[in-house]
Amino acid sequence: MTYVNITFSVNGSDVSSSVLVRQSLADFLREDQRLTGTHLGCEHGVCGACTVLVDGRAVRSCLMLAVQADGTSITTIEGLTNADGSLSPLQQAFMDNHGFQCAFCAPGFLLTAKELIDKGSPLDRDHMRAELSGNLCRCTGYESILNSMEAAIAAAPSGGQP
Amino acid sequence: MRSSLAGKFVGSSVTRKEDRRLLTGQGRYIADVVVDDMLHAAFLRSPHPHAEIVNVNTAAARTSPGVVALYTGTEMQKLTNPFVNLAMLPGLYSPIFWPLATERVRMIGDPVALVVAASRAEAEDALALIDVEYRVLAPVATIGNAMSSTSEKLWPKNNSNVMFDHTDTYGDVDAVFNSAAHVFTERFTSHRQSNQPMETRGCVAEVTPDELVFHSATQSAHSLRWILAMGTSKADARATAQALRANQARLKSFAKGAKDFLTTNKNDVGKNDNAGMIHQVKRDRSTLKHLGKLFVNTLAVDARKLPRVVADDIGGAFGVKGHATREDVAICAAALNLGRSVKWIEDRVEHLTVGGTARDETINLSMAVDHDGHILGMRADLVMDQGAYPAIPFGAPLFTRIMKVMMPGTYRAQAFELRTRIVSTNKAHYVAYRGPWANETWARERMIDIVARRLGLSSAEMRLRNMYGADELPVKMVTGPTLDKEMSAKATLEKAIEVADFTGFRARQIAARQQGRLLGLGIATFHEAAPGPPDFADALLPGGGMLTREPIRTVLNADGTVSVFTQQVPHGQSHETTLAQVAADELGVPLDQVRVVYGDTKQTPFAILGTGGSRGGPMAGGASMIASQDLRTQIIREAADLLEAHVDDVQITDGRIHVAGVPSISVSFADVAAAAKVAGRDHLTSSVSYDGGRGGWVQATHVCEVEIDPGTGIVSLPRYVVVEDCGDLINPAIVDGQIRGGVAQGIGAVLYEKVMYDDEANFQSSTFMDYLIPTAMEIPHVEIHHLETPTDKPANFRGVGEGGMIGAPAAITNAVEDALAHLGVTVTEQYLPPTRILELMGTIERS
Repeated sequence: MTYVNITFSVNGSDVSSSVLVRQSLADFLREDQRLTGTHLGCEHGVCGACTVLVDGRAVRSCLMLAVQADGTSITTIEGLTNADGSLSPLQQAFMDNHGFQCAFCAPGFLLTAKELIDKGSPLDRDHMRAELSGNLCRCTGYESILNSMEAAIAAAPSGGQP
Repeated sequence: MRSSLAGKFVGSSVTRKEDRRLLTGQGRYIADVVVDDMLHAAFLRSPHPHAEIVNVNTAAARTSPGVVALYTGTEMQKLTNPFVNLAMLPGLYSPIFWPLATERVRMIGDPVALVVAASRAEAEDALALIDVEYRVLAPVATIGNAMSSTSEKLWPKNNSNVMFDHTDTYGDVDAVFNSAAHVFTERFTSHRQSNQPMETRGCVAEVTPDELVFHSATQSAHSLRWILAMGTSKADARATAQALRANQARLKSFAKGAKDFLTTNKNDVGKNDNAGMIHQVKRDRSTLKHLGKLFVNTLAVDARKLPRVVADDIGGAFGVKGHATREDVAICAAALNLGRSVKWIEDRVEHLTVGGTARDETINLSMAVDHDGHILGMRADLVMDQGAYPAIPFGAPLFTRIMKVMMPGTYRAQAFELRTRIVSTNKAHYVAYRGPWANETWARERMIDIVARRLGLSSAEMRLRNMYGADELPVKMVTGPTLDKEMSAKATLEKAIEVADFTGFRARQIAARQQGRLLGLGIATFHEAAPGPPDFADALLPGGGMLTREPIRTVLNADGTVSVFTQQVPHGQSHETTLAQVAADELGVPLDQVRVVYGDTKQTPFAILGTGGSRGGPMAGGASMIASQDLRTQIIREAADLLEAHVDDVQITDGRIHVAGVPSISVSFADVAAAAKVAGRDHLTSSVSYDGGRGGWVQATHVCEVEIDPGTGIVSLPRYVVVEDCGDLINPAIVDGQIRGGVAQGIGAVLYEKVMYDDEANFQSSTFMDYLIPTAMEIPHVEIHHLETPTDKPANFRGVGEGGMIGAPAAITNAVEDALAHLGVTVTEQYLPPTRILELMGTIERS
């Protein structure tokens, strides 16, 4: 078994760790960092549940190796919450609009949504459907997710943080 | 949204209690469960659909790094009892099978060996080193193969791949068909579909000094517990006898539990006969031996080995996690054998391959009508492919019984006959999938459109002419259950016709055709027994009521909060919110003063069915209401003593208890709890076992407009309308979410999703790039209208979990045929991907 030392930041904290070269970023976050908010739905890059932000870009952590994260800055669902533990406006919008049901897909949708809102580009309903089509939800039929997303965009200061 | 002010929570879309943890990554799904000193498991699975196991060479795997234990089928057999179906039907043969395949594999993915190692990766490494020698047998790949007398028998003791062949007849079917003006017949085929929740199956068998805690993503904690107990309590006769002698207390406690159950369900137990079990024993005499061992061993098992099942957050299920599976028993047995905790998380390829599949059936349906299109009778021949192994504790046989009762729908048919055959093939097992009987609605509603078209009636007119109206109720369905006076299927149909603009649509359709565009409109109406009238359970299976009672316990805690203990195991339906809404209203307390406790068999009351059958709202909601009313009475009585007032003068306002008109002098719920304790009552509590009261139906009409691209065959859905009546809405946003989610799965089923096997039963759809779950691009806005027919029922909640998926396949396939009607197309398959549409249109040759 080959291990490699990597250094990166997770949700604002610096992490140095020795990782197995064959370990996925998702397994590293879940098992070694105990950040179990990142969920594994398919482990072949289709469902999007494991989406995290790597340097601000949405990435499937099941398809990325932990060693590839060396030197990056990673945000997971645990990093979305405000510092005082309260819900961020994005999370609040999903709560107010009953965005999810079982919520297994929620981390992936929320991080995909965060990337889109952070970009600040205007999104109508059809664009939103296209942008979120890389994330599967089996419970909701997507309507409540789109409603939540729309509310989050409306609440976000233009170009600001959701 | 309101969550702190007491008052009327029922009817309000209060935000979900669950969301605080689920939106912040703090949920605890099964893969998140970590216990001390935990090992990891992986299963070796069969690459053949049908083969004999000649030899399993495990030497290299056992010495692979990290491997702690390895079990072949025969080794696992020594630690376990087999699965024996207890829910027998007269004429059904239900094969006896083991956690791991022993002499034979019967499907791609059949578990052949189990490796337990220090890490999952090491367990998977070792799987690659196991060498299994197979002798390949002829596969049984289709219903047609299974019906052939020359096909290889999956279960030789039955000497046929037809496991059940039974005909139910209601009314004088021959007379009706002989005298009818027209008889129309079509053969409908539905494809294999799969639930595919975003979270797969999984479990952690945790060994502690006191007990075995089985963490599981299960919809049904109590039945899983007892099936695990029966499966893993293997002991020889001498040890069993000693244990029974040594543990009289346990025997007494079990006997008391059994007696309580039999007393509560005395009437239903009396209706059972043994015809099913007698037939089974005739086919397979080992049934009695295994059953005897199973029960005696379970009685004798050391209480520390009796699993306690704990379910926490669950990432969806839609029925598939209501079954106790071979993997569950194997992992539990391995943990008990090793004295070490073992974790198994199914991967997606496994879940697609053997997690569970549904709806692979053909229905040959004849409808007898008079000159005016009045439906006189129906005659159906159903063949259901249950795959290689029966699901436990219930599966295909039960679903055919629901189809039998429901198929005539809310139409005035006076005669009905259903022949049912269940066959075995070398495919994954048939599980419950959201409205497991839904193809009765699909076949009937499809047929009504076909008949209407042939008689020159509109699809709406055909339904209006045949459906029971409010002025004809109550009336009994030809299959037995009463359509009570609140049964409002026709009202949903009339409202749907109004909102979906049928008259305007025809003009648009004609205009569109002239431009080369293909529009179609489809309607479907159904009713669902959620929970059904009091006479529903007996129509299904005599004595069926014993399965369906719903227990709940409410408790006033020392701090003044109230706990609601339910055997329901939520997995997206939001019980923590809805059951609390009902309880908070009855108790007059803020929502955050109520906590719903679920998932732990040590804390929750026993029931056989967990969450399923759209029963959460009507049954657990009703039970929560009654148990909270009773607790309120006790609280008021206690408070009256404290306030030195008469009970009739005591009120509860926003969580404070006071004398009417004197809100300034009050006591709190915590004061009452303390006073009760002083008086020697540790907790004020109420336990109920709810029978559903007068029950009732949920009903809906779906209307869908499709547009078909004539060049590509792609079907889009510009408009989708659901008009439904589920009684009082506990939380409208949650109800709408259930409906939309069901419709989305129905859309997926018709247009995108198909579990595929080749002609040799080789599995072909093992990734999400083959089995296509619809995305936000494919699911349209679903417009929902609620009707609430007035009633004096005390708890007027009816279930909405499954309805979306029951109505959608019928509405969509009806709309597709409508769009292609000018080409003379009749749609008899449920799966309509673009290639099939182009075949139907004659654009391409049928492959």
